[in-house]
Amino acid sequence: MGAFVNPRWLVGSAAVAAFLVVWQIVGANEIIRSDLVSYPTEIAASARELAASGELGANALATLREFAEGFAPAIVVGVLLGLGFALSKIVRNLFEPLFVAMYTAPLIAFVPLLVVWFGVGSTSKSVTTFLAAVVPIAINTTTGVRETQESWIRACRAFGATRAQIVAKAILPGALPVVMAGLRLAVGRAIVGVVAAEMYVSTLGVGRLIQTYSTAGRAAEIFVLVGVVAGFGFVCVGLLRVLENRLAPWRARA
Amino acid sequence: MTQLVVQGLRLEYPAARGGAPFLALSDVDLAVEKGEFVTIVGPSGCGKSTMLMLIAALLRPTRGAVSLNGQPVAAPGPDRALVFQDFALLPWRNVLKNVELGLEMQGVAAAKRTDIARKNIDMVGLRAFERHYPHQLSGGMRQRVGIARALSVDPEVLLMDEPFGALDAQIRQVMGSELLHIWERDRKTILFVTHDIDEAIYLADRIVVMSASPGRVVQQIKVDLPRPRGLSIRTSAKFNEYRETLWNLLEEQVRQSGSWARGEGGA
Repeated sequence: MGAFVNPRWLVGSAAVAAFLVVWQIVGANEIIRSDLVSYPTEIAASARELAASGELGANALATLREFAEGFAPAIVVGVLLGLGFALSKIVRNLFEPLFVAMYTAPLIAFVPLLVVWFGVGSTSKSVTTFLAAVVPIAINTTTGVRETQESWIRACRAFGATRAQIVAKAILPGALPVVMAGLRLAVGRAIVGVVAAEMYVSTLGVGRLIQTYSTAGRAAEIFVLVGVVAGFGFVCVGLLRVLENRLAPWRARA
Repeated sequence: MTQLVVQGLRLEYPAARGGAPFLALSDVDLAVEKGEFVTIVGPSGCGKSTMLMLIAALLRPTRGAVSLNGQPVAAPGPDRALVFQDFALLPWRNVLKNVELGLEMQGVAAAKRTDIARKNIDMVGLRAFERHYPHQLSGGMRQRVGIARALSVDPEVLLMDEPFGALDAQIRQVMGSELLHIWERDRKTILFVTHDIDEAIYLADRIVVMSASPGRVVQQIKVDLPRPRGLSIRTSAKFNEYRETLWNLLEEQVRQSGSWARGEGGA
């Protein structure tokens, strides 16, 4: 059996295992104060507790909902705006400077303002998610459209395609792989956005839990929650990759 | 019956900043009979592909007109289907869906589209590959898809822009003979641009020789070889005569343009 295990994978696992063992020894023996760094078995116990009490489930669900309510419209608006940027000079001149500014400005700095506008409830978090996600989606859509090959459009035009048909049959499907890459980027930014907004002020959500436990100086719970957030991002990106391979199998080999 | 008429066709690109305007095509006249196989040869950059794009109405002429069955041609349409040198297939569509493209533009119903596409895929010998994607096919197979796609819209005229130019010599000959085979079934009018002299003779009823840039028609040669033509016809004495005639004409054109001296001869 051992001969069939990829050695690179083996080395990676060994490194992680070694790290966990050292962490356990350092934390459990108070070589460094365990309330600061915790240790693996304590974190596992906290995870069980958080899950059993229902605290984790309810808060994770709230965050998930805020995320979904912000991300879904961000896909629609982002793709349409990106198309607009690429195909219309007017749209580009109107919105592109604003977008470049939004891409570089730290969104977190706007959260207090968003809370004033949309309240301490879930809406301000969804709006933060939306703003974090819409920018990379739009920018990637623009790039994808600009990279569509002239030959695809030429083929459609030769058969008398209308402008709408060219967009639907050549430009959008051609841009799809780059749009999907934009979605992957957007997932990361949106997760940071929603959790940060919850940490600023909220009544429910994984970010609020992190805030609560950090005030209480509970390192173990924070590690659990950070792990949950990271796991969610990992799953999202994985699903997007599966979807991308489904929708654009041609790109994988190109 | 004359089907396609090209009259005084001229294309001039406006001057780039500080430069002179570029004349790509200079007053070309051409009349093509229904069912005729016409090949167009000329030195590289002479505007032969440009002429095809003007007939397809993918480009607008500076002057002159194209008419099909007496009707002026103003926009691209399925009555003139193009086959491109770079195939121009859509990589996210399989063979069947690529062949259906032109029919989709015309709003043909899905079931009928598939029917027509299958028939044409059969004709080019790709029945077993209809679910394959372009990246899974060889160059020759890709161009068969291009040909099936063009034939699917049942065009009046087939415009072929160096369709076998990207293929290696052997495949190129096979594709030529298969094209003749298909053509002999329904005798669609074909305009075929090539820079390969043998290909031009082998396929044609008539060869149009164009001048070096700016392109105009220098001579038209009727090819009086029996049909159907096998590949062995290329070694016949008559074929050799045509070859010599064409070589001389083209050499003269290339010399005049000075492109040999600049090292641009050949393709």
